[in-house]
Amino acid sequence: MSKKIQILLFILPAIVLVGLFVYGFTAYTVQVSLTSWRDVGFGGTFVGLDNYIRLFTTDRVFKTSLINTLKLTAIFIGVTIPLGLLLAVLLDLKIKGRSIFRLIFLLPLSFSFVASAAMWTWMFSPNIGSINAFLRAIGLEALTQPWITSEEQAIVCIAIAYIWQFSGFSTLVYYAGISGVPPEISEAAKIDGASTFQRYMRVIIPMQKPATLTVLMILLMYSLRVFDLVWLMTGGGPGTSSEILSTFMYRTAFNRNRFGYGASIGTIMFVLSVIIIIPFFLKLRRSEYE
Amino acid sequence: MNKQNSLSKKKSGKTIKKILIYLLLTLAVLFYLFPIYTAVNTSLKSNQELAYGPVSIVKSPEFSNYKDAFLKIDRPMFNSFVITLFATVISSCLGAWCGFGFSKLKFKGSSLIFLVVVLGFYIAPQSILIPLLRFIGSIGLYNTYWGLIITHTAYGMPITTLLFRNHFETLPNEVIESARIDGCNYFGTFFRIALPLSLPGFAVVAIFQFTNIWNEFLYGLLLTQGTNSQPLTVAIANLKGTTVASWNIQMAGVIISVLPVLLAYIFFLKLIVKGLLMGSVKG
Repeated sequence: MSKKIQILLFILPAIVLVGLFVYGFTAYTVQVSLTSWRDVGFGGTFVGLDNYIRLFTTDRVFKTSLINTLKLTAIFIGVTIPLGLLLAVLLDLKIKGRSIFRLIFLLPLSFSFVASAAMWTWMFSPNIGSINAFLRAIGLEALTQPWITSEEQAIVCIAIAYIWQFSGFSTLVYYAGISGVPPEISEAAKIDGASTFQRYMRVIIPMQKPATLTVLMILLMYSLRVFDLVWLMTGGGPGTSSEILSTFMYRTAFNRNRFGYGASIGTIMFVLSVIIIIPFFLKLRRSEYE
Repeated sequence: MNKQNSLSKKKSGKTIKKILIYLLLTLAVLFYLFPIYTAVNTSLKSNQELAYGPVSIVKSPEFSNYKDAFLKIDRPMFNSFVITLFATVISSCLGAWCGFGFSKLKFKGSSLIFLVVVLGFYIAPQSILIPLLRFIGSIGLYNTYWGLIITHTAYGMPITTLLFRNHFETLPNEVIESARIDGCNYFGTFFRIALPLSLPGFAVVAIFQFTNIWNEFLYGLLLTQGTNSQPLTVAIANLKGTTVASWNIQMAGVIISVLPVLLAYIFFLKLIVKGLLMGSVKG
């Protein structure tokens, strides 16, 4: 067997599987998004960009989903990055029981989103849930909230659950980044008279840019694809107040059987995915040729 | 005198810092553990005791809740074990195979192909769901184990290939070259030299895949119906709808469902951390 064929056989499974399941399917989705296909059977007529025009001009739920996706992303990333950095620094200080703390911070990562959704629905349940029960028990009845049953708070509740579930990841990446700072650099700052605080603020944290880029990329990707938490905690409700793109797409395509319209939301999500990964792609290419 | 004063000042400053550090750590621990505490606490309460609320610590633990929950999810749990086992083994093996190709058998353009494969990991699944359902249905695998095994294998390819390529990059090329000189073709080199040396990599990839597939929900929701081949996550999500307000049973189910991965985290944290970092940082 020639060398070339052998090499091809090695990389063929990846090319075939990813080629079909990711890129082939995406192309198919784009194609479906240009049709009016709905309900059982197959086909629907070609309608050009009608689905997209409707999404962006008249569809209120789509607008809500888009805004909620952005809101969720902003809260999720806005908290997760500083929190991860803070916890990583705390772990890096000389503390007792570091490995226990680290395990505790990473523990929620082991939970499925389904499990977290159930747990946090229970936490945020207004009448019998843990948080309001806790507030009543310590005499802070006035602070009890409607949580997930409120149109304004639902998306914030979901963001909190998401932060709980996923912040361990950013702690982990930052911790690895901080541990990777050569001790000589830290020592040099010490000799120059920098306090521990200054050492972190001026030397160690500014060196975490690659870690931040990595975390940012992964968190962006995850906040676009989050589905389980919203689907199970609020079902996009009350009303459509906490609907996000991923749940709106699923509901449109598979609960209402409007495949053409759902495919156009899926296509928009593909475009958003690509926009998120472009900086990543550029970084990868650069390091490839360095 | 003065010196002593400043020394004690310095010391008390240090104590304050220490207190601050541990205070922050304690707050973080509370944030991460409180939901787990209420879940476990609730799962052990009888219906009667549940009426007193979820926070007060359970007085007479009702372990039968776990039995009740288990009886509702035993079949989906078995399904999840089968699906996760097969998908993990197949996707890890294919990842090793392809990762070797992309790492040790480079040719012009192979790094570009590799990049395109890896980027598949970052595409939101919503952009492929409609054709996925149609495809799995048209090959007769809707509502079967194999439908989900194939799906998880396919969408696992970018990450398993990436993890194994990174692993094989740490193997010196000379090892491969010397095997070639000894008359091995690429297949022989892979099975006799690379594969035995990649066992640590296998552990990392397998545990990464196991945790991801066990916890996955969306594909299970899309590709199954009824309990025949439904994965555990979907069954747990359904507990909510079928049993009216029995939070204790639901929480018991949740605890049972997370145990396998939770135990993996506790016992194999090092491997898991390695997988998470390799899958992201070196991405």
